[in-house]
Amino acid sequence: MENRIYKHLKKDILVEFRNRSAVNISFAFAGITTIAVSLASGGIRLDANIQSILFWIIIFFSGMSGLAHTFIREEEERTALFLAIHSIPEEVYISKLLFNLVFFIFIALVVSPLYIFFMHAIPVHFTHFCLTVLFGSIAIASVSTILGAIVSKAENRGTLFTVISFPLMLPVLWIAIMNTTASLEPGAAPGFQSILFLLAFSGVIISASYLSFKFIWME
Amino acid sequence: MKALRFIFYILLVVMMPVVFYMALVWVPPAMGLGDASRILYFHVPVAWSSVLAFLAAGYYSVRYLAKEDYRYELYAWNAAFTGLVYSTLTVVTGSIWAHISWNIWWNWDPRETSAVILLLIYIAYISLYSSLKERPGRGKISAVYLIIAAVVMPFLVFIIPRIYWSLHPDMIFNTKNKFDMESSMRITLFTSMGVFTLLYFFIINLMNRTAVLEKKIQEKIHDN
Repeated sequence: MENRIYKHLKKDILVEFRNRSAVNISFAFAGITTIAVSLASGGIRLDANIQSILFWIIIFFSGMSGLAHTFIREEEERTALFLAIHSIPEEVYISKLLFNLVFFIFIALVVSPLYIFFMHAIPVHFTHFCLTVLFGSIAIASVSTILGAIVSKAENRGTLFTVISFPLMLPVLWIAIMNTTASLEPGAAPGFQSILFLLAFSGVIISASYLSFKFIWME
Repeated sequence: MKALRFIFYILLVVMMPVVFYMALVWVPPAMGLGDASRILYFHVPVAWSSVLAFLAAGYYSVRYLAKEDYRYELYAWNAAFTGLVYSTLTVVTGSIWAHISWNIWWNWDPRETSAVILLLIYIAYISLYSSLKERPGRGKISAVYLIIAAVVMPFLVFIIPRIYWSLHPDMIFNTKNKFDMESSMRITLFTSMGVFTLLYFFIINLMNRTAVLEKKIQEKIHDN
């Protein structure tokens, strides 16, 4: 099974990087919005709270276009049926989840230094900031994988993905924003409770998705 | 079964006026808030019912995926719809209460935010269900969404308000950071929650039976 998951993942990465549409759009979005926000603020030093809100909004919308793409592409290119016959649903789910995790962490790795550089948002509690970005990205990728599979079967995919994913991702964004604020403020003492929250959230979502994925995929 | 149902109806019919009497007349008003505080005995049970609706929607969805019985798809939809109504009532009553106690209609308190997110999840489910119209896998796909929503719910309702400081009810009704209400208030609140739970089951049961009957009538018309 591991071997087949690896092959699926390799195939997804190759297809994505040959085509590069989702990756290009996401990185371009990340770069343009960060520079646009920095330009619009005119070099003013913003509050830690506003800095973290803008940071997560940029990360969230940069990833949004690419995260659902992995399943939608299978439907649009009519390879979903072949994949359903060829592989067991759990393999498909795990490979898509891994792809989304890699993709989103990559986005976060590009956005974070850009944002720190242009917005002068230097994290005071650096470890905490990195852990928040890492686990926040994992949580968002976990939710969007199963929701990407859901919207790939529906009409008006682009709009619907935003509508159904936003309420389920709000708890993650909420916690991640508060945590990032704490990691940017010199006087704050950020706790690890919220990091645990992000981890637990991802664990629960991945477990529920793993168990229920076959019901979507075999439709 | 019929006898049980009869007892259930009697209990509901007798206890609902009792709850209104207790909440509006018997219980003393909360100190500093006056008679307006009585909204608590309706706001908390309504919020509790919206959580029940979430659990019911998740439960029916799991049953639908396991049994593939069309009735559970209808039941899950009904549970989500009642959840939408109850969440709206929670947000409205909460907002009224916020205005009374904090002189502001809305302040993004963790519990207020959780209630709004629950409401948004129900709206998202309804959007998803309508966009899957005419698709054979509509029931299963929307059932998976409800299951995912049901596992997210405890994080919103039970965990986030405990991680972050909230103005919500602990600070208002006690000073020891514990659930420490006056006994008459506690009795009224728990009685009201119990009766509203009965009311929720009465409504969902009625909606479920009606939905199955409607479906059968539609099929009969279609066959003819």
